[in-house]
Amino acid sequence: MSRSNYGLVKYLFLAFMGLWLLITLFPFYWQIITALKSAAETNRTIPTFWPEVLHPENFVAVFAEASNFNALVDSFIIATGNTLASLFLGTLAGYAFARFPRQAGGENMAFWVLSNRMFPPVAVVLPMFFLFDATPWGTDSHITLIILYLVFNMPLATWLMMVFFRDAPRELEEAAYLDGYTPLRAFFKVTLPLVLPGMISVAMLCWIFAWNEYLFANLLVGTNVRTFTIVIPTFTHGSQTLWNLQMAFSLIAMLPPVILFILLRRYMVRGLSLGVVKG
Amino acid sequence: MARLEIEGLCKGWDFPVIDRLDLTVEEGEFFVVVGPSGIGKTTLLRLVAGLERPDAGTIRVGERDITALPPYRRKVAMTFESYALYPHLSVFENIASPLRARGMAKAKIEETVIGVAKLLRIEQLLNRRPGEISGGQKQRTALGRTLVAEPDVFLLDEPISHLDAKIRHELRLQFHTLEELRSVATLYVTHDYAEALSLGDRIGVMGNGGLLQVGTAREIFQQPQHLFVAQHLGQPSINVVEASLSRADGSLQFTAEAGSLALPVAGPHSETLAAHKAGRITVGIRPQHVQVAKAGAETNGAAVVEAKVEIFEALGATGILMAESGGVKLMALTPPDAEFQHGEPVKLALRNEAFLYFDADSGRNVMIG
Amino acid sequence: MARVSLKDVNKIYRSRHDEVHAVNDLNLTVNDGEFVALLGPSGCGKTSTLRMIVGLEEISSGQIHFDDVLVNDLDSQARNVAMAFETYALYPNFTIEENLAFPLEVRGLSAPERKKKAREIAEILRIDDILDQRPGSLSGGQQQRVSLGRALIRDPAVFILDEVMSHIDAHLKFQMLFDLKAIHQELKKTMIYVTHDQVEALALADRVAVMSNAELRQFGTRNDLYHTPASVFVADFIGEPPTNFFEAELFTDQKGTALHVADSDLVIQIDQQHAQRIARWNESRLTVGIRPQSLHLNGDRNLPALEAEVAINEYLGERSILTLTSGACRFRAVVDADTAAARGERVRVHYAPEDVMVFSGQTELIIL
Repeated sequence: MSRSNYGLVKYLFLAFMGLWLLITLFPFYWQIITALKSAAETNRTIPTFWPEVLHPENFVAVFAEASNFNALVDSFIIATGNTLASLFLGTLAGYAFARFPRQAGGENMAFWVLSNRMFPPVAVVLPMFFLFDATPWGTDSHITLIILYLVFNMPLATWLMMVFFRDAPRELEEAAYLDGYTPLRAFFKVTLPLVLPGMISVAMLCWIFAWNEYLFANLLVGTNVRTFTIVIPTFTHGSQTLWNLQMAFSLIAMLPPVILFILLRRYMVRGLSLGVVKG
Repeated sequence: MARLEIEGLCKGWDFPVIDRLDLTVEEGEFFVVVGPSGIGKTTLLRLVAGLERPDAGTIRVGERDITALPPYRRKVAMTFESYALYPHLSVFENIASPLRARGMAKAKIEETVIGVAKLLRIEQLLNRRPGEISGGQKQRTALGRTLVAEPDVFLLDEPISHLDAKIRHELRLQFHTLEELRSVATLYVTHDYAEALSLGDRIGVMGNGGLLQVGTAREIFQQPQHLFVAQHLGQPSINVVEASLSRADGSLQFTAEAGSLALPVAGPHSETLAAHKAGRITVGIRPQHVQVAKAGAETNGAAVVEAKVEIFEALGATGILMAESGGVKLMALTPPDAEFQHGEPVKLALRNEAFLYFDADSGRNVMIG
Repeated sequence: MARVSLKDVNKIYRSRHDEVHAVNDLNLTVNDGEFVALLGPSGCGKTSTLRMIVGLEEISSGQIHFDDVLVNDLDSQARNVAMAFETYALYPNFTIEENLAFPLEVRGLSAPERKKKAREIAEILRIDDILDQRPGSLSGGQQQRVSLGRALIRDPAVFILDEVMSHIDAHLKFQMLFDLKAIHQELKKTMIYVTHDQVEALALADRVAVMSNAELRQFGTRNDLYHTPASVFVADFIGEPPTNFFEAELFTDQKGTALHVADSDLVIQIDQQHAQRIARWNESRLTVGIRPQSLHLNGDRNLPALEAEVAINEYLGERSILTLTSGACRFRAVVDADTAAARGERVRVHYAPEDVMVFSGQTELIIL
């Protein structure tokens, strides 16, 4: 390929990437300007691409009802609780599948665990409702969603952790045994630090899923516990949807995962790429 | 401190890898197991370390039977072929690892690690991570980690085979001079015969299933009990001639089956060979016992044959020549600065008193019986 | 077949943050039918050089000619180079014959033609008895030969081998080296062999190009490299065990001029004419090299000798290596296998003054 051809291809590629970026960023842009508009402006037949008057007070207005802030706290408790549980169980199970495949039930067992993620969640909503209704804490509590989200997050955590553990050389553990560490101490001293980047990315994935979940939260909780996802649709005025408040609140709800991602980005990229190469 | 005793050790997966192996390594002895790759040398080490469970047999260190003990209670230290350094820990922490496992006091750990690092000349690397140091330095770190453990038995798995020739020479010296290694039972595994000959107080040559011969370097090199042993030691490897024995003018000689090459059997060998029932014999001729002379030159000796140069490789310090004589290809070592051309006629003077004779079927050395 | 010549060739890798000069003003000519080895430690630029010759890498500046054709802008197809890699890269689901014939199939040769060529090349490589087998059932050496065969069958103008022996067991290596040399003698192709192993390079090549730090250090026959290395680097890199080096200074008394080794009482004798030449360089510090093979136990008594204590006697079967110490100096001598010198014994090792190599202490280039 000659030099000039190469240049042309490069510019075409850049143009394509620019277009792509535009398409993906547009909804985000729309969300931001909508959050800054007045309720009336959001309902115009011909939409405006920039608010006529900026309404930053929308971000305060969403907290007019104090319980709205509590929704963010509830979401945080559920997401964090579920992440810790998923990580704990997934790490142990993943280790077992990676190191003792025969005792853990083999490749089929591992796949069965993952396959739990593949059926449509809607199919089990009713059984789950009755199941949790029979528990002492009922359906409307933190623990319900923490346990329920394990159905989705634990298979993912198990599967990814299994891949990371397989990737960590077994010889390092053996070297630790010979140094005089018992298997449990060797696990904490050598194996766990090696899969830490992977664990962090798994934690991120679990946390984001639990944070954003809407379907089950909407059906199971709502009085004692309210997650932010079920609060967003409540910003209405009569039959009119208050788009500006919904967008403002969802922007606020986006902050924690974004901050988390920025803080842990370094590990996230390493962990994910590890999984891609080996998985 | 104690001796290592292995008795009737068996281990196999789909086929037996180690079959009834017996071995005793005395306290303070440096024992080298040498053999081709994939023959089970590493499995032997892993069995002693407790990383594999034997199918049968016992392993004792001194009075202690360690066969059923987990690795962390055996007081055995091992270096891995891959070094197995902890990538997330500094060189210091890698070396300190066995001491931390024992719960040694901080100040004492520091003192011990720095002492060992000085001994191995890696004290300036203590803050680096394994990813930031060279292969030779990794090897030294791995060695340091086993040294501080002060075990009863050292196990070293191909510790220097992946390093450059130059660093190999240097580390070989290190293994010679480290008192810490030389004072306990050490089992060292390698595929490189030169390493084995250089380092081993005694050497075991491993073939399929177990040790074919155990002895000092000179014993196994000069009097191999088995053709396999002779073939595995030496570079270039020993010339092997399938031949049949016959008598000519009253003295014993052998004729190569592949051609017309006939050579007299040296006097001291004649009696034993004459008693050898089978007429067929496998003759081993080390390349350094084949002297090459230009076609016109004077040569003396009992076994001189005409030959033609097939390939000649000068390696600076020495040369290797492959010549064809009477349908048989023979390798020879030549002195430095000698030059030979492809197809050149030469004379080969063979030192037949140094020939080795093996049974054509079993491969056993018939001189040793 | 072709002559390959590189003229002022440079390779610079640029990234946003820095610039790596991988090959620096390389001038090298490989004659038609010659076997040349590119030798050097990892990261010396030999692989970049090879990739530029093959056409896998752009040339930053300079010219590469195949015979009289400038190939800078030709892609590797047009250059007609073949390359064998470190990994064999055989197609596991093809038989050996199909593997060999594959490059011809791509070029659209007829089936009988392909078969004929595959058999020809298999005969030369002595793999004609395994043509129906699949790669999985072959030994490493056989796989390597098939891989060579597949590269050779295209009848390339230049044949390049990249570290092809680094995965071969040591005791099979010599046989492979012999085989490769025999193949070259038979085919008489221009071959360039890239390796970090000096034994392979010396054994195979008509001439060896030694590289380090992106530059060509010396290009010569094995005798040139062994007896008159251009620098300390070459002397150190070529030879096994490595050359003994001593820091020394010139010293003259009534007996003549000699080299005094620092931190020991060793004195190294040199030819008086040579001594004058060294004196003209007027350097206080010199690096002296003597190969372990040039030090002889029980040597000619008229020759000068070094006296030292035996630290280690390594028996290696065909030979022994003595490690000797004197003061802070440690050096090696290669001696007969039956030498019985024990640890602590004092011995004298003789050497011929012409085997002493003297290098500048500053530039590390050879003076003698």
